[in-house]
This record gives sequence, structure tokens and C-alpha cells, in this order.
Amino acid sequence: MIKRFGLLAAPVLLASCGMPGAGGADEAKSGDGTNTIELAEFPDRPYWGDTHLHTDVSVDAFGFGVRLGAEDALKFARGEEVIATTGTAARLDRPLDFLVIADHSDAMGATRRLYDAPRMMVRDPTLRRWRDMMHESPEQSTRAVAELITAAANDEIPEALRDPERQAKATRDLWDRHLALLDRYNDPGTFTAFAGFEWTLMPGGNNLHRVVMFRDGSAKTGEVVPYPGLDGDVTGLWDYMEAYEEKTAGKVLAIPHNSNLSNGMMFELIGPDGGPMSADYARRRAAREPVVEVTQIKGDSETHSFLSPNDEFAGFGDAGWDLGNLPLTAKTTPDMFAGSYVRSALLRGLTLEQRMGANPYAFGLIGSTDSHTALATADEDNFFGKHTGNEPKSDRAMLPQNLGTRQGRFGWHYLASGYAAAWARGNTRAEIFDAFMRREVYATTGSRMVVRLFAGFDFSESDWEGDWVRSGYTRGVPMGGDLVDAGKAPVFLVSALKDPDGANLDRVQIVKGWLDADGTQREKVYNIAWSGREGASADALPPVGDTVDRAQASYANSIGAAELRATWSDPDYRAGQRAFYYVRVLEIPTPNWVLFDAKRFGLKLPSEVVEASVTQERAYSSPVWLRPRKTPGDAPPIMK
Amino acid sequence: MRDPLAHFLLAGAVIWGLLALRGEPVDPAERTIVLSREEQAALALGFERTMGRPPTDGELAAQIDRWVREEILYREALRLGLDQGDPAVRRRLAAKMDELAGAEVETSSPSEEVLRQWHSANAERFGGGGEVTFEQLYFDSEKGALDALDEPRPRGMAISLPRGMDGVTIDEASRVFGTQFVGEISQLPVSHEWQGPLPSGFGWHLVRLMKRSGVATQPFESVRDKVEADWRNGTLANRRAEAYRLLRDAYTVEIE
Repeated sequence: MIKRFGLLAAPVLLASCGMPGAGGADEAKSGDGTNTIELAEFPDRPYWGDTHLHTDVSVDAFGFGVRLGAEDALKFARGEEVIATTGTAARLDRPLDFLVIADHSDAMGATRRLYDAPRMMVRDPTLRRWRDMMHESPEQSTRAVAELITAAANDEIPEALRDPERQAKATRDLWDRHLALLDRYNDPGTFTAFAGFEWTLMPGGNNLHRVVMFRDGSAKTGEVVPYPGLDGDVTGLWDYMEAYEEKTAGKVLAIPHNSNLSNGMMFELIGPDGGPMSADYARRRAAREPVVEVTQIKGDSETHSFLSPNDEFAGFGDAGWDLGNLPLTAKTTPDMFAGSYVRSALLRGLTLEQRMGANPYAFGLIGSTDSHTALATADEDNFFGKHTGNEPKSDRAMLPQNLGTRQGRFGWHYLASGYAAAWARGNTRAEIFDAFMRREVYATTGSRMVVRLFAGFDFSESDWEGDWVRSGYTRGVPMGGDLVDAGKAPVFLVSALKDPDGANLDRVQIVKGWLDADGTQREKVYNIAWSGREGASADALPPVGDTVDRAQASYANSIGAAELRATWSDPDYRAGQRAFYYVRVLEIPTPNWVLFDAKRFGLKLPSEVVEASVTQERAYSSPVWLRPRKTPGDAPPIMK
Repeated sequence: MRDPLAHFLLAGAVIWGLLALRGEPVDPAERTIVLSREEQAALALGFERTMGRPPTDGELAAQIDRWVREEILYREALRLGLDQGDPAVRRRLAAKMDELAGAEVETSSPSEEVLRQWHSANAERFGGGGEVTFEQLYFDSEKGALDALDEPRPRGMAISLPRGMDGVTIDEASRVFGTQFVGEISQLPVSHEWQGPLPSGFGWHLVRLMKRSGVATQPFESVRDKVEADWRNGTLANRRAEAYRLLRDAYTVEIE
């Protein structure tokens, strides 16, 4: 009885993964980069990257049609021109500094092998049908993947695709080749290539996915293979991570994403077994998952208008995504929102910490793309879509985009978002990874603004006249840090510098979340700096204006500011309060990718779509937490 | 890829591909099917490639039966013209032609000499990039910058940009100051005098451009991996383009 298919990778696959050449990577490239370059005394600039990119070994990306592999992905991220699957030349205006290729660990390379397998070897009728569909046409191929994802969500993946032993060898081969490739492209000081994968937990279609990111080079990462699992719970992943660290003395972290598609399950108040959350679980989660991906192509997870009715800028990138879980097999109801969005999760973290002394949701914020095209682009005028099926073409903005259903989400709901910025002392695996661990990172929706945040107790306006960055690091904590209550209001130094190739800035805000004396969760958004509008008060700040020419997909930097700074002291501070503070920076309104498409392809859009496509790109910093005295902090120590 | 088995399989695959595409087009009138020894070997190889072991006699017989069935249906489909106007068939065959053109490039290990030649022929791609050293003053208006230019010791406005950059690549400078500014600065003569104003995404700048070094090519040894990857891509693209050009020249295309 022959039951299996193509465990020996076909030559096509070898070619697509890049052939290890005669020369391997040298030691500087294959380690974590420690002692390879000169480091700045303090983090001197944000390093830009994408931690969430899929290539042709992702089971869904390949099925959606992508034919670009890891090597193309690395080249593109590094700033070189590549040819996208659909045949257009693709290039980033500005290179990225780092990249995590995060292909799905489940059935890694399986769709590619299924596609390449001789038909007769595929005995399972479902697999055979999927194989035929993949060969039939791009549309059928996409449909096959939609079925596959639905099957995964319903735990109905055919045995032949799940068998761990069969998968293991194939995955091992892929992984080893992939790690060697990463080391070859890893170039301390210039470009950092991280090993990683995506772990795709999805009970009932509720998205609990995590990207896993390693600090180390192939000598350590080669001792394990990516951890598969469409079922179980997240503690299994943490066990795997702990075992890796014990075995290799390396380091690894996990990044949850698309909480907006989790129907309230990503940030629950209970434990994974349905019982009360334990302090041990909370501590483990905080240690293993120091950051969360808050914005990406499949929507933004900062907050929902239902949760933050007084925040006029809430709800960005929620449309379409807030209808249900990932495959839209279950609708989202308002009671689920608090467990699906980041701001409410940060608040829940304060409540849980008050209750049991440990905060599972004390995370920093990053953005990434989750692109399935092997192209890490979040640029509005250079958007290659969520997957190969919606790479640039005339009607992509208006096509329904539902995995397995015919309603609810359309092309224009996708965001050309986002990127991760890491404040590091140099561009190496170790430095950038460590910035993630200490949460000194921030998210943007694709623009490259430079955002600084320092919190302390003795900052004043005069600090701006001197070396304020040094003051920030020596007399306070940067974003991601912890302040212990000193009996007086914390003071913040905040600076936001526009993206030199992007739009001017509208305003800088601080979002504060805290617990009242009786434990009630409170949130408030403060305008702390804005462009022009002399005489306007922070509580009644009029909109910045709108220069967007809808038809031309253009805007003018005739409004807004190049830089905004503020020294801000919390007016609502009370002694002993538990609070978090993060910065939100808004650009002036700009056209998003949909309007660029409309102009390029001469597309007539409904007016609601046009208006939804004029947006204010934004940055979200990691929070700073204010903790009462005598609470053992569970955050990493501040870098000195 | 040093594994001899992989090499053997690959060579077999290439031959197989060639065999599959070789020869006369199927004459629909032809009613004889010949399965040569080579083709049987190719079937066995295909099996082995998938299963990691040669097929048993029974398995090979089943393969042959299937092949014959497919061949008959394939010929009948051609007879009915089912290959016409089918985008999947069209794309698949076009992709096969491209793969054919680049097949051995994907897997060959170019010699040192070939790579060194490639390195010197494409030196600009292995440049360290030009480096610049400059100081700058920021102004939020062109007029402000022009007024300052007349002063003996001009002072700029406060902004979170470095006062200058020392010996950085153009890329590094553009990350901080943006592409517009870097485009402008590359037009300036080197001088210790303040020049400008130059526009950037932030506003206007006066600039003292102290140093600009030319593009130095990095030595072959330090970029060997990069050269090999570049050679592979370049050669692949060139062969595909060349193969296409040869074919294209035989056609007259009229787009009405």
C-alpha cells in the first residue's frame, strides 16, 4: 500500500530555496552577531523590519500561487529588485534592516510537494482533489487553500498531510537549507536575517497564531525544527521554546498576531483550560511573548470604537475584520471585543496583575505585514497584496476576499501595513532581538516615523536644550520600560519626527489606561502636541485638514509638522495607581493603496470605498507601565 | 548540493524534461503508442524520486498502465483541440519553456574563474557605495535658510536630526534624511562653505559637504557568496531572455 507522497523534495523545491553554494557563511554571519560590529552607547536609531513574512513553503501561500522563495524575500527586503510571482518587477524604495521569514510550521512545504507529486502517488481523495485544483487554475488553487484552511480550523486535515513522521523529514530538509540561506544573507551592521516560523493555533477558526522568532544562527536553530500544531494550547509552544533555550543556551520569543480575528480568545481573563488564570501562566506568557503585532494587512488591532467610544481615532483598520473570526466561520459579537484588541488587553493586564501579582499582557507593540507574496512591503504606492491572488491587478480592491465564504470582506479592507521599529544599538540579531525582549520597539502602519518616548519623574522642558536622549536613558526609562510609583506624577519626553519620504504629522497623543481606586478600568487619550492650530486646546483640537486629491491619489505636505515634541506630565495621576502610557502619532490624511490602484487601473470606486481609503497613517509606541511600590516587577531590567 | 544522489536525480529530471519536450508533435492520426526503454526508465526514476526506492515490477506495470491511459487521453484531447484556449495549459507550457532555458544554471557550481569574471564585469553591483561626510542646519522655510546663509555663523532650528554624518554610505544617509535630500547632496561640490538651501522631506537645509568618496568595489573574497547568488540570478535571467529573444525573432506580432 502506497500512501505517502513526495517526501523527497523535488528539484524545483531545491532550486526555489536557494542552493547552498560552495562557500558557507562565515562565523560573523552565522552567529547572533555579538562582537561583530561597533555598538552605539545608547540606541541611536530605529531599525526597520518585518517579522512576519510568508514564502512558497507556507502551505497557504503556495496554494494562493506564490512562487517566490526565501531567497527572493531576503533580496527584496534588502532593497534589491525581484520579479513578483505575477510577473511585475518589485522593489522597495528603501531597504529594511531586518526580516523574519515566518512560514507556517504545519505542513511546511506540503502544498509545494503536493503540487509536485505524481498524481498517482496521492491516494487520499481530498488531497488528490486539492492537487488537481492547484494545477487547474489560480482561482481553483486559491479555492483549494481556502478549503484547506477551513479544514484546519475544523480539525479535518487529511491524515497524509498531518502525519508528523512523514512531515518531519521533509521539514528537517527544508529547515536546514533555510537556516544556511539565512546565515548567508545575515550581514551584521547592514542587514539581519532571523530564523522563525508561524505557529498556527486556530481552535474553531479563532485566530491564536504566533510568530516565533529566534535570536540565534544555524548552529543553535539547527538543533530543532519548527514546532507544528493546529491544536493543543499555547503552553505546548512555550514548552517547546523553553526546551530550545535549555538545549542550546539560545533565545527565542513568540509574537501573537491578529487578535482582531480571535473572537475574544487572544487576551482572555481565564486560563487556557477554561479555569481561572494562574499567576504561573501569566508570568510565563509575559516572559515568552514580550511583544504583540498590533497592525498588519489583515487589519489593525489597537482598539475598536465599541471599546473606545470617546477616542475619535479608534477603529482604524477594523472594517470587515471585525465581522468574525479568521475563516468567518463564527461571527464576532460585542462581548468578544475586549479579548480581541490590544488596548483592552493592556487594561485587562492591569486588572489581572492587581488580582494575582503577575501581568500576562504587559507587552510591547510592533507592526508587520503577514504578506504571503514573499514581498515585505507596507508602502501604499507599492502594495503587493495579502497573497499572490491579489498582487497588483485592476479589480483587486473590489473582489470579495473570504476564505470559504462569499460575504463580508473585500479587497479594500486590506491594509498596506505595517512595520516593526526596534531601538537598538546596532543591526545584529542579538541587538534587535534584545530590543524586542525589553520591549523597546514600536509599530507603524507602514510609514517610517522616528518616535522616542522617555518616562521619569524629573524631566522638564529644558531637557530638550541638551542631549535629551542621554537624559532620557540615564534619568528615566524608554518605551517598554517600567516606572515604580514615586508618589508624584510621571513626566514624559516625547518626540516624533516625520518619515522624510512621507507625510507630515498631525498630532502626537498619549493613550493612558489605568485602574480606579475601586478597580474600574479607565482609558483616556490626551493630545500632547500638534501642528499649527494656534490657540486650540488639547481637549478640543480640530482636525488637521485634508489635502488628498482622491482622483490623483496625491496629497500635499502644506499642512502638518516635520517634528512634534512635548514634555507631558500626567494630570490624572493618583498615588498608588496602576497605569500604562503609550504614544500614538498620527500623520495628516493620505491616500491609501486602493486610491493608487484606482488611478493606475482607471477604476471607478463606490464613494464609501473612496472615503475609507483616505486614512491617517500612525505609529503606536510600546507602553511604559507605572507600578505601585512593593510589587515585584516582572519586566526585564532596564538597560544601563 | 553535494549529494551525489541528488545530482543523479536532477540530471535524470533534466533528461526527462528534455525527452518529454523533444521530438515531433503528436500526430493526431498516429494510432501507435511506443513506450521506449528510456521512457520506462524515466517512469521508474519518477517513482524513485518520490518514494526513495525503485518500484517493484508490479508497481512499474501499474505506472505503465497509467501512462498509457494518460497518453491516449492526451492525444485524444489534442485531437479535440482541448489544449486551445486553456489558460492553465498555456501557462504551464510557457513556464516549462522558461525552466528549460535555465535548468542547469539553478544547480551548477560556477568555477572561481567564472565568478571572478562576473565580479569584475559587474563591479558596480558589489560597490561599497559612495560615502559622504557632511554637516547640516535645518530650517522650516526656504527664506529662513537663505537669510541664514548671509550670516557669518548661521544657526539652524531645533529638530531631532543629527547635526552631521561622518563617513556614511548614501543608503545610511537616506535612511535618516530621506531620498530627496540625498539626491540633492549628491549634486553638490565638496566645500567647507555652507551651501544650499537644499529641500528635504523635513524642510530646508544648509549643508557643508566635507568629503565624498567614490564608489569602491568590495574585493571578491569578501563578497563571494553575493557574487555567486548574483551570477546565478543574472545568468538565469539572461538565458531566459536570450532563449525568448531567439524564439521571438521568428515571429511577427501584430497588435491590432
